[in-house]
Amino acid sequence: MERQAEICANIVKIIRDRSETGQLLRADEILVELKSRGIPETQDLDRKTNLETLLEQVLAENPDLRAIYDRNGSAYYHSLESLSETYGRILLWKSEDPLWMIAEVVRKNSQLYPRPVSVDSFQEPPFGLTGEEVVECLDRMAHDKEYQDIARTDTSVGTQFLYSTDHLEPDHAIALAEWFDVGQVDNP
Amino acid sequence: MAKYGGWAGKVLRVDLSERKISTEDTIEKYKDYLGGTGIGYKVIWDELLPGTKPFDPDNKIVFGVGPLAGTGAPCNGRTAITTLWPTCWPRPLVASGHMGGHFAAELKYAGYDAIIIEGKADRPVWLSIMDGKAEIKDARQLWGQGIRRTTVEICQEMGPEPSVAAIGQAGENLVPMSVVINSYSHSAGGVGGVLGSKNLKAIGVRGTGSVRIAGNKEEWEKVIKLHLSLLGANNQHVVPNSPQPWSEHYNPGSRWVASTGRKWGAAAPSIETGPCEPHNLNKIAYRTNNAAFFLGEKAWKYTVRGNGCTACPIRCHTMLKVPGVSTKYGIPEIGQNTCVGLLFGRGFFKTFPDGPKGETAIEACMVGMHLADDLGIWDNYGQVQRDFQMLYYNGTMGRKVPEKEFKAYSWDKYEQGDPTFLFELLPRIANKEGELATALGLGTGYLLERWGIPEQEWLENHDLLYWKLGHPKHHSNEDAGQCGVIINTQYNRDAQCHSHSNFTRNGLPIEVQKRLAADIWGSPDAVDSVAAFAPMNKYKAKMAKWSLLRKELHDSLSLCNWMGPWVASPLRERDYRGEDSIESLLYSLATGDKKSSQELDRVAERIFLLHRALTIRDMGTKDMRTKHDTIPHWVFADPKDKAAFTKGTIRMDKEDIQLAMDMYYEEMGWDKQTGSPTRDAYQRLGLGTVAEELSKRGLLP
Amino acid sequence: MSSEDRKHEVLESVSSFMNSSHFLSRREFLLVTGGIILAVSSPGASAKEAPLIIMDNATGVLIADSTRCVGCRRCELACTEFNDGKASPTLARIKIARNLNFGPKGLHRGQRGQGNWGDGLIVQDLCKQCPHPVPCANACPNDAIVVSPSTNARVVDPDKCTGCKMCQRACPWEMMSFDSDTDKATKCFLCDGNPKCVEACPSGAISYVSWRDLTNHVPPRIVPTAVVSPEKAQTCIDCHGK
Repeated sequence: MERQAEICANIVKIIRDRSETGQLLRADEILVELKSRGIPETQDLDRKTNLETLLEQVLAENPDLRAIYDRNGSAYYHSLESLSETYGRILLWKSEDPLWMIAEVVRKNSQLYPRPVSVDSFQEPPFGLTGEEVVECLDRMAHDKEYQDIARTDTSVGTQFLYSTDHLEPDHAIALAEWFDVGQVDNP
Repeated sequence: MAKYGGWAGKVLRVDLSERKISTEDTIEKYKDYLGGTGIGYKVIWDELLPGTKPFDPDNKIVFGVGPLAGTGAPCNGRTAITTLWPTCWPRPLVASGHMGGHFAAELKYAGYDAIIIEGKADRPVWLSIMDGKAEIKDARQLWGQGIRRTTVEICQEMGPEPSVAAIGQAGENLVPMSVVINSYSHSAGGVGGVLGSKNLKAIGVRGTGSVRIAGNKEEWEKVIKLHLSLLGANNQHVVPNSPQPWSEHYNPGSRWVASTGRKWGAAAPSIETGPCEPHNLNKIAYRTNNAAFFLGEKAWKYTVRGNGCTACPIRCHTMLKVPGVSTKYGIPEIGQNTCVGLLFGRGFFKTFPDGPKGETAIEACMVGMHLADDLGIWDNYGQVQRDFQMLYYNGTMGRKVPEKEFKAYSWDKYEQGDPTFLFELLPRIANKEGELATALGLGTGYLLERWGIPEQEWLENHDLLYWKLGHPKHHSNEDAGQCGVIINTQYNRDAQCHSHSNFTRNGLPIEVQKRLAADIWGSPDAVDSVAAFAPMNKYKAKMAKWSLLRKELHDSLSLCNWMGPWVASPLRERDYRGEDSIESLLYSLATGDKKSSQELDRVAERIFLLHRALTIRDMGTKDMRTKHDTIPHWVFADPKDKAAFTKGTIRMDKEDIQLAMDMYYEEMGWDKQTGSPTRDAYQRLGLGTVAEELSKRGLLP
Repeated sequence: MSSEDRKHEVLESVSSFMNSSHFLSRREFLLVTGGIILAVSSPGASAKEAPLIIMDNATGVLIADSTRCVGCRRCELACTEFNDGKASPTLARIKIARNLNFGPKGLHRGQRGQGNWGDGLIVQDLCKQCPHPVPCANACPNDAIVVSPSTNARVVDPDKCTGCKMCQRACPWEMMSFDSDTDKATKCFLCDGNPKCVEACPSGAISYVSWRDLTNHVPPRIVPTAVVSPEKAQTCIDCHGK
């Protein structure tokens, strides 16, 4: 039991440390890290179920630690103390599929705040796509059934915004885009 | 030892006509009004006759600060200046201007809570206040000089450390659209001409004293740290403007613009802001960069640092160094200001050769700051710039200004967005040279009257953002629906209230805002998503009342209403709650006069009611609802003619707004029909004599 | 460590700032360290002569980055509110306000100077916790400036201070403050190792670091005019030669 407590403590630290660098961590990366730290008996953890059980326990005991899942159901771990779920998801989507990232960010923003998202913002960190990549994504999106809820509006000064029709009515999205792009600075 | 901490204990009264200087006991005479605008309204109510004009020697002007000025309470740097307002049209009414900088703290260290200026000097003078010793000094050599030279020359006499509040040529020439500026660039609008009319060029203040904290110093430290922990960026935006590792939320409209990779590029060497995680209280100053927010990404490379007021960790007054402007325009490379002050020069132009956020636009801002903050010209929250564009492009200017004068301006430069055009225009406004400049310097109401333009045209045009009495809206329906509309009906200049907009623009998801709203105002229905407004309910009226009272409270305590209140925070562990009673915690500990949040709000209500009473008295009517609390037509229109309460419009509904005003008056305990406070409303707040006075004049409902 | 060993150690450390090699043959001096005054006698010492004060070096010192300073003065306020219960920049042991508008060179530089109205640079003035000879301590006729036990910071002992302000005239950097409510001098005492100014700075411009000698690196603000008493001066000559 003592050994297990030590391993858990190490896992907690490994996840928190990695989150401080702004990165997510997979289970297999945790294992490599444990081994490199020379934690004994980690070989037992090679059996997937053992490690998963331990991780479940660690998450239950440490409310700041969370897992988010990619589209294949693989878990990625992070600590909310320094890496938020929102940021973590952006990192994950970005590594998986930029097109999916754009769509999910637009959907989330449309639902939550609500607001449309400027196309240019995807070239900024942490999204960090090139202009060409963004254009390519938008082209593909237009022809993919999965993304038919994603719509575009241009403001009076020509800035392009995206929103999801599942969450925002077009007129509302148009007004909000104008508010964010022009209105707020004109009404300081 | 004085009974109370916080207050300096004395109010300075300077009679310029008699050259007489006296002092009054703050606690005895003004404690029920706290300070700031509270003292200002009280003096004007007690001492001015209705019908007094702003530039009459009988008008008075009150520089007031509160018990928190000069302490370490965050965001306490503002001085409230209350007087009869020169640009309030068609008749002057009471209003206040507010300046940041270091004047407020220095006044306290010199031993004063307020300065009341009355009368008129027989020749130009300035007022020197050195640690309790006030002297009226000859200012003939300063007359005709800009604000910066005046400031430096006064420092030659007082030493390097005073705060100097001075007027420029605009104020001297009784231009209504003029300011007073302290510490080089911190301005208060509208009051420059009042000081000019009194022949008072400047007030220099130097204090080496202290402000005593009455409460236990460990508790004070705790409350200060609590307050600091709840701060967001400028305007109390509590989320960053782009996704940051630490943050669950972000909002591109947030003034929390810090991020990895963003740098104060003109610091030597440059400084990266980093992500500015909210628990790191040693990084608060990097969160805000209003130059970058207003002028665009390009402003980062010109940023020397954030600057601002005494004791404020939010440095909204960005200092810029734009090397090109010294050779190109012959002005200093360094310029600093915040918000509309930054935009002063840019606002006149419709277009620039390299777009609205290009280099030329930044140069226009630098030229504008250099000229306006030296000549002492006011922008009226951008109204003079909006009016200018409208009047030029719709051809009015060409018709109203004599041909020879009109042709003397380089309109080709203007249309091309050449900032040198400002050198033609702004000095003329300050010097009242010619018809165009004189008219612009009057303020919107008097300008429209002079040129025979019906106010109706301005009331109908949404783009002009004009509200009433010669002044624009300031965070109305576009920010907070009916609550914003109510707030904008209440003042005699632009409302300057941020209590509501700091909440609605805080950047949190609407569900979080609604949860917080339920805590503060009793229901999630107090707030709506922007452009998806729901019909009026009583919680919106509660929010409006709370917003107005907190504004007056802040203006009287010396807390910045451009930052407060602090009912939302960046802290996830607090579910993004702030602290509604932070003002009362600070006030109680600093002064030793323990008051709950509710008790303090009642003091604020007394102050606000006195403002109302003054407005009623000086308008000579109790029918405030139809004669004063008016709403421009554009509020009830939509460019696409979308119906009110449909998604995508900020259009309000006339009947619903009538209901909103009913609910608001009811919430205030005022008479619904007239919108005037009842005798009972005055008496409840200890203003029985005010009610009596109004009753004699037939001004009680 | 015995007091004799401690004495040797202090002398070693002090000697690194003095070009003198014959320390231990000197006559009488007072070694002020950790709040303990050790009278060190040697043969032939005259009882009438005043003691020389040698202070052990401080363990920490405050340093500041002027490019980061945003001129908010929260450090000055934290210094006096949290230590003295009042907001008083004049009393503050860190000094911002005096350089704020024009910079340390003062107002004659106008817009070509530093500060808010010049190039924007705000130069923070901090106590250097000087090595021996400590100007403020040496100038004090009452030996009221002593070493604080926790950090070896030079602090004013309010019981001994008579408010004569000699120390103010002795500090080349004008870092002595005077409390007009108590009529006593005061100075930076490093908040016993947790400086409030460091915690209060919203831009991370102030750091508390291990002590180093800054006295040759920061230009003085004034030419000190305080007079060290002849008795004390004589003891200097004893150590430093003619």
